[in-house]
Amino acid sequence: MPDMALVSTASRRLVTIRMTWVMASLLFAFGSWLIGQGAWIHLKAVSAQWLLQQAWHTSLNTHVPAKPWPWADTWPVGRLIVPRLDIDQIILAGARGQSLAFGPGKVRNGQDSAHDSQNIILSGHRDTHFSFMQDIQDGDRLIVQNPQGKWLSFTVRSMEVMDSRIQTLPVNQDEVDLRLITCYPFDALSTGGPLRYVVQAEITQRLN
Amino acid sequence: MKVRRPRLLILVCWLMSSWISGLALPSVAAQTTEEPIQKSVVKKAEGGVLLKASSGKAPVPAPLLNTTVTMTISGLIARTTVSQEFRNPSDEWAEGVYVFPLPDQAVVDHLRMKIGERMIEGKIQERAQAKKTYNTAKAKGQPASLMEQERANIFTTSVANIAPHAPITIEIEYQEVVQYDQGRFSLRFPMVVGPRYIPGQPQNILEPSPSQHGLGWAPNTDQVPDASRITPLVQHPSHRPLNPIALHIDLAPGMLLQNIESPTHPIAITKQGTNTYHVSLQDTATYADREFELIWAPLSHDTPQASVFTEQRDGETFLFLQLMPPTATSAEQRIIPREVIFVIDTSGSMGGSSLKQAKAALTLALTRLTPNDTFNLIQFNSVTHRLYPTARLASGSRIHEAQRYVKGLKAAGGTEMQTALTHALAQGANQEASHRLRQIVFITDGLVGNEEALFAILQRDLQDRRLFTVGIGSAPNGHFMRKAAQFGKGTFTYIGTTTEVQDKMNRLFLKLEHPALTDITIQSGGSTVRNLLPNPLPDLYAGEPLTVAFQTTTLPDSITITGKQAGTHWETTQSLVDAKPRTGITVHWARQKIAQLMDQRTRQKDKTLLQQSIVELALKHHMVSRYTSLVAVDVTPVRSDAQTLHSHALKKNLPNGMQYEAIIGWPQTATPATLYLALGSIMLCLTWLWSRQHLAG
Repeated sequence: MPDMALVSTASRRLVTIRMTWVMASLLFAFGSWLIGQGAWIHLKAVSAQWLLQQAWHTSLNTHVPAKPWPWADTWPVGRLIVPRLDIDQIILAGARGQSLAFGPGKVRNGQDSAHDSQNIILSGHRDTHFSFMQDIQDGDRLIVQNPQGKWLSFTVRSMEVMDSRIQTLPVNQDEVDLRLITCYPFDALSTGGPLRYVVQAEITQRLN
Repeated sequence: MKVRRPRLLILVCWLMSSWISGLALPSVAAQTTEEPIQKSVVKKAEGGVLLKASSGKAPVPAPLLNTTVTMTISGLIARTTVSQEFRNPSDEWAEGVYVFPLPDQAVVDHLRMKIGERMIEGKIQERAQAKKTYNTAKAKGQPASLMEQERANIFTTSVANIAPHAPITIEIEYQEVVQYDQGRFSLRFPMVVGPRYIPGQPQNILEPSPSQHGLGWAPNTDQVPDASRITPLVQHPSHRPLNPIALHIDLAPGMLLQNIESPTHPIAITKQGTNTYHVSLQDTATYADREFELIWAPLSHDTPQASVFTEQRDGETFLFLQLMPPTATSAEQRIIPREVIFVIDTSGSMGGSSLKQAKAALTLALTRLTPNDTFNLIQFNSVTHRLYPTARLASGSRIHEAQRYVKGLKAAGGTEMQTALTHALAQGANQEASHRLRQIVFITDGLVGNEEALFAILQRDLQDRRLFTVGIGSAPNGHFMRKAAQFGKGTFTYIGTTTEVQDKMNRLFLKLEHPALTDITIQSGGSTVRNLLPNPLPDLYAGEPLTVAFQTTTLPDSITITGKQAGTHWETTQSLVDAKPRTGITVHWARQKIAQLMDQRTRQKDKTLLQQSIVELALKHHMVSRYTSLVAVDVTPVRSDAQTLHSHALKKNLPNGMQYEAIIGWPQTATPATLYLALGSIMLCLTWLWSRQHLAG
């Protein structure tokens, strides 16, 4: 009888260990997959910018918009530089989910391309390209290169939290200004929130 | 040791979870406590930092539009007057440009401009010439209006020199033939242009070309060279809706009616004579944000078997014939197995109620498959995805799998229809010898700007397949639905509300599952029948009438119509002796002729000859087309050179049920990367702790 008890305890223990292993490896696999997903988003964000740099230079030289890769549904339309924060990014046309994965997007807002360039609205993901927006300060210098190759220098005038449910995109047709938009708060885990962080900058200099 | 480990585990878990909630907290807090954020915004706005309007001068308000639609339906033909009042609310002189839809088969043949008591009749001119006439008048300070066609169902009206605080009203008149299908007549009136997806790369960013230069939100691209003309700006849904609209219909159906209804709007019906009705909108505050549909059903014994009308014009006789073919009896029920490729549009414009309707329709259609049928499912937005690599047998478990797939569909991104269509047309390309009926059911709102490119693909790759379009939502692209079905040799169906899904889909199933009447020919005794339209004659599906128009010098006594249904020959002789004279038959024929020439345009490289023929026809019949416009000019200048004219592109409403954010507006600017990374690291930590505790101990 004591022998029997010993055997059954041992086998129960074996089963428990095996179960634990299965559970642990499942948890490990799922955890790794999640980390992979997260890392992939950041990898795409960084690597695409490299391809975009080339496409942007082609666009500037040939005066014809060039797609960064053959199946892209977007193309570069500008370059954004923030000297103090060491930021240099290629801006993409449109601000749909697909293009924002690769770079900040220029929101189409104007009545036509001529008016469009008057009022520049750029948006980017708060956790990839536009994470630098939380470090922007009043008076910071933002530089944008437009498709004509012209460099425009802007000075930050305000930072604002806006609610997309009750406020419309700030569109101003008559004056040249620049707005950067990203999701707010910067460190929220959930996506799809209604708040946006908006930086407004005024044109202060045309560099060429 | 043994006692301390669980404590350590609990401690780590607690730390982790507090980190997570700490990260998540700001967003939760921000979402629940709106007030402080709103306050901060208001404060800044008052300071004149955020809103430019408060620091600079106020912008000049755009003209306000008020639309009144008056329809007279008499039998099969409807004549409609759309009256657009442009009221200038500002102290400045104004020009209003409005992009709006009309039924895709409308023949626009009149434009009148009303200033005070005076009425100026518009003249038909070649498009470039009309534009010049308008621009000259605009510069001279004369009131002027111009009506241009952008697509079969998209038009632009421009009205110049509207005096401060005064209105200018323009009246547009068009004719159309009422739709008949499976025992019911119907008529649709679109009120708003659905936001189109513009594929391709922008052209001439540096210098927009003046000829194609529009005021829309999209730049012209290589695939849609007139994109800026078909993408009017959208009013944000948080603002008051624009463009109030009133609708008055006089309906003389010419037969006894069973009922009159509208699935889209609540209507008020008053009986006027023995068999005439007046229909209007119940809701006086109706805004142009969705398509209107009116349906009327005759008592079954009173449905006419054939209607024949003629009209004399310049020594020519034009004839219009609508004929009900025999209805397929249940004995002829199909036994041929089918191959059905379902294609569903999951682009951003489908978000909201449209996707719900599309999913319901698709789920229903899946249940109609039998185990002998094969099927596949394709969804598309910016990318295309198929359920199976090729069509599979529709076993119970596969249907189940497909329904689960449909349930999980979400709407986002662009409408890259070209790839989806190519995929659908490449399905089972190797099964040439298969005896299956090959059908494609295409569920979409059709809101794209490159229709012609898609039609060209359809014509090139259709083979023996048949394409059936299912138009979804409150502002579908009717031109796309009809033409894609025509080039796909199938039919089109509209679903405007969720309650309609069952009924409209059942009507479609009848067509999908019963043999069509094919190889239709029309012969007259002599050879006097010319220019028979449509050409080629389409196949007829269950419940569809044959509708033709032709030209002749001497009217034959009768014509013989033949066809094939499920392998058996069908023939009928229609007497033309009783043909009633009626106005509008000639313009109907001319519109069909232009449609045919426009169809040829999608195939031909050299378009100049076709353009010439269209211009000639349209000028002769006083019709608006892609190449001809109506222009009305008041000779007396009202604005002096010293006063400036402000141009305004009138905004339109977002179609009912659509999600603004899914199409335009605030972009989504967060990725789930941080969430993934956080959850992933927690799981790895837990794994490590757990295995240590259990395996070491």
